[in-house]
Amino acid sequence: MTETTKAVFRVVINGSIDAVWHELTKQGEAQAAVFNCWLHAQALAVGNSMQMRTASGKYAMVVGKITAFEPPHRFAHTFRFTQYDDPECEVIYDLKQLPAGVECTLTVDRMPVGTKTAKDMQGGGSMITNTLKAMVETGRPSLGTRLMYWVFARMEFVLSKKSQVQNWPLK
Amino acid sequence: MDEDQLDLLFHAMASQPRRAILDVIRTNAGCNVNFVAGHFDFSRIGVMKHLDVLEAANLLISQKNGRERSLFFNPVPLQEVHEHWTDQYSRHFAGRLTALKRNVEKKEKSHD
Repeated sequence: MTETTKAVFRVVINGSIDAVWHELTKQGEAQAAVFNCWLHAQALAVGNSMQMRTASGKYAMVVGKITAFEPPHRFAHTFRFTQYDDPECEVIYDLKQLPAGVECTLTVDRMPVGTKTAKDMQGGGSMITNTLKAMVETGRPSLGTRLMYWVFARMEFVLSKKSQVQNWPLK
Repeated sequence: MDEDQLDLLFHAMASQPRRAILDVIRTNAGCNVNFVAGHFDFSRIGVMKHLDVLEAANLLISQKNGRERSLFFNPVPLQEVHEHWTDQYSRHFAGRLTALKRNVEKKEKSHD
């Protein structure tokens, strides 16, 4: 049995819970908080497949199934990077209204220890929560993140062929 | 992050025992208070006081797990501070210098 671990990231966002929920679940446009990927799903409902695709739509970076969809408090899905052969883990976003703002907790559960997935998720969690905060509070990511996305968009050709969407039909 | 939150963060980090506690939690995600207390000579109550300070600074997330509490290190506030005082260019060059320092020190250590 694969050894797994869990990581938790939390930030308080000065904005409405609906605005935070919108950033995490919007379709038809880039999700700046999640590495500028586009969320694809036939419908956002428990049991349905979902994918995070690059802006060009040519690559599916992440595939999974929706495990919780409770607007505007909880969105969760299984998570697998298409470029790795690691077992899937689960990503859970919990939103809670506080007097100071919206507490957003990102939990990455069942991360396979010692894998590339675990390494990427440990590093990516802070970036997702902080960019989500920047999006809701200022309407755009930080300059550094914008520059990084600009480079991402131009370097898409280096991505693994394994991640091309034709290899990952959205069922 | 506002000034009050920054004060809480730097107060929490300006303590050697609290940094050591964070290291224990970071490398043992989901551990409980007794596990943390087992690593230190000071009392369980002393550990809990430090945990309260870390939680107030949002560096620690405590989740209820049955009758116990599971503890997780939250790196988000430190990332916010890092992003606030650096930009893409300074991050690049500062990162190269820290990598150089790490490599040289690692080599010298292996020669000792």
